[in-house]
Amino acid sequence: MPLKIIVGIKWVPNTTSVNIDPKTGTLIREGIPSVVNPHDLTAVEMALKLKDRYGGTVTAISMAPPSALAGLEHVIGMGVDRGILASDRAFAGADTLATSYVLSKVIEKIGEYDLIIMGHETIDSSTAHIGAQVASWLRLPYVYYAVDIEYNEQDRSIIVRRMLENAYETYKVYLPAVVSIAMHTYEPRRVKVSNKLRAKTEDVIQVWTSKDLDIDINCAGLRGSPTVVSAIDFVPKVPRKNLVFKERDPKKAAKWLIDQLIQEGLLEL
Amino acid sequence: MKHIEKRFDAIVVGAGPAGATAAYQLAKMGYKTLLLERGRTPGSKSMFGGRVYIRPLKDIYEDFEKKAPIHRWVKKERISLVYDESATTIEYTSNKTTSFTTYLTQLSHWMANQAVEQGAILLTEIRVDRLYKEDGRYRGVVVEDEVVKSDVVIDAEGINRLLLEREGIVEKLSPDHVALGVKEVIKLEPDTINNLFGLDNNEGLSWILMGDVTDGIPGGAFIYTNRDSVSLGIVVLLGEAARRIDRHIYILVEELRNHPLLYKYFKDGRIMEYSTHLIPEDPSRLMPKKLYYDGLMIVGDAAGLLLNQGYTYRGVDFAAYSGYIAAKAYEKAHGNGGASEENLKIYQKMLEESFVMKMLRKFSSVSRLMKKERLFSTYPQLINLLASKLMHIEYDSYKLKEAFDEARKGRVGLIHIIKDLWEVSRKL
Repeated sequence: MPLKIIVGIKWVPNTTSVNIDPKTGTLIREGIPSVVNPHDLTAVEMALKLKDRYGGTVTAISMAPPSALAGLEHVIGMGVDRGILASDRAFAGADTLATSYVLSKVIEKIGEYDLIIMGHETIDSSTAHIGAQVASWLRLPYVYYAVDIEYNEQDRSIIVRRMLENAYETYKVYLPAVVSIAMHTYEPRRVKVSNKLRAKTEDVIQVWTSKDLDIDINCAGLRGSPTVVSAIDFVPKVPRKNLVFKERDPKKAAKWLIDQLIQEGLLEL
Repeated sequence: MKHIEKRFDAIVVGAGPAGATAAYQLAKMGYKTLLLERGRTPGSKSMFGGRVYIRPLKDIYEDFEKKAPIHRWVKKERISLVYDESATTIEYTSNKTTSFTTYLTQLSHWMANQAVEQGAILLTEIRVDRLYKEDGRYRGVVVEDEVVKSDVVIDAEGINRLLLEREGIVEKLSPDHVALGVKEVIKLEPDTINNLFGLDNNEGLSWILMGDVTDGIPGGAFIYTNRDSVSLGIVVLLGEAARRIDRHIYILVEELRNHPLLYKYFKDGRIMEYSTHLIPEDPSRLMPKKLYYDGLMIVGDAAGLLLNQGYTYRGVDFAAYSGYIAAKAYEKAHGNGGASEENLKIYQKMLEESFVMKMLRKFSSVSRLMKKERLFSTYPQLINLLASKLMHIEYDSYKLKEAFDEARKGRVGLIHIIKDLWEVSRKL
């Protein structure tokens, strides 16, 4: 039986160009273009590799404001079959618990699935909570830091290789299951013009609101979010001396550097 | 090679001002239009100094001045000749205005959105690898291993014409036919900008500087005020820059920002953006022999359609207008039975009759002025020396003639000055 895969993506401000407001401690998102969380693209790539190898379908899901449609279009461009965006004012202000709750409700509504794949973590908050929490909402087994998945059709299981600091662990997991892919494991493929056309011209993306989902509204959005960020402390700036050697001779430069280090008491000869 | 089933009337390659406008006009006339952009967003590969002349755009887009992302209306124009740490400046202020400042990414984005609203399909992050030919006619584009077909292709790929080079329609760019623009965008509060440059809200400044601002390389510098930032940069002939600079090109802009005359404006700003881009400099060398082929039209920078008027560039309005004319020409060709070479000839004809080609012909010798060193070194020096003689009074005062003679002594002969003045007044 071919694999029915669901992959979670997050629409995040491109943190390479985000600054923090020193007064309020919040991200300045104004004017910052959003992107699909890069680690989620690794997850999408894993899902597509599995689809290439074993056949089946890949559905991308996301909880976000409507602007995230562009993100779903992007992954459909890569080869994902369809996208579902959970989007509702009631979902706004969610922490990871409330987000994973809504996502698990989306997955429940999709109903038929074998494998849920998530990214390692997001670049804008780096909690790495969502995979584990979705697994617990849905009472599914969960493997984290995965670098490879093989599918065994006979007994409907997967063999997952998981990367640790000095070793790999291999698990056999019966489906359905949730797997998070270790960051940078795969280079996401480029979009295809035919797939992008499909995203634009065919009805492959659905938007679901709280009304479409069997949801306890008190568990979603700000109301369903017990996490409170009470304060952000900045790492104090250490004043540093700044000297520049302006000549071009490398021998002189080396000598100069060593002399400076000795003067500062950082080096003894 | 996989052929995609969906077929378009027109495929436009590149969603800068020329391509987005062509797509907008085509979709508006009811043609099935596909607009392909290599960057993440329309215009993300485009760059300009900072100012757009509005009149031609009003012909194309309804209520342009109300709906487009306009930052400030240029009501203050400055031209400065710089020598050492002094500058002699002409300033023109008027409530009448024909140009505005903006970010080109925002404007291109807006234009592409207009196209989408009219029914065009916009796909970003799609890099066209080559034009697709069937029986010797252009009939679509190739993207990796896929072919998208159309009745006509509009090439709006910009100055770096990889597709046209591949087709043998144009030759590789020569460093002597293009200029290099290098630019920084500095974030400043709108009130700060207003105070620094003496502007009201929504009022903008265009400031061109010549002389000691480009490290002696023929070219100039520019400053434009946006809503809450200032664009500053330099334009130098690429060939000259390559021959004379052995440092990274960004240093030229850094030196400009830290120039004793300019430092005070930018010291509290934060650099938001750094970019460089090629600028068509010599249309006579850059323009393809013709701008239409069987199933193909070439617009914007790819066609070399940018006007260097010496003290200002016109790129965006020229590009957009050429896209607009190409769309109109396709409508005529379509009515005559299709986008054959014969039928698309009308594009060139309409372009020749429009201000676009008329102005390019009229200012065709400006690029030769750009190579006249005296204009960029001797005269800024002369004028500032003259001004200093007249203005820096201690015991003795100078009469104008006296000051002038002393300033030019040993630098340039009267005959040369008269000849140069004549040449400049004819070519500009």
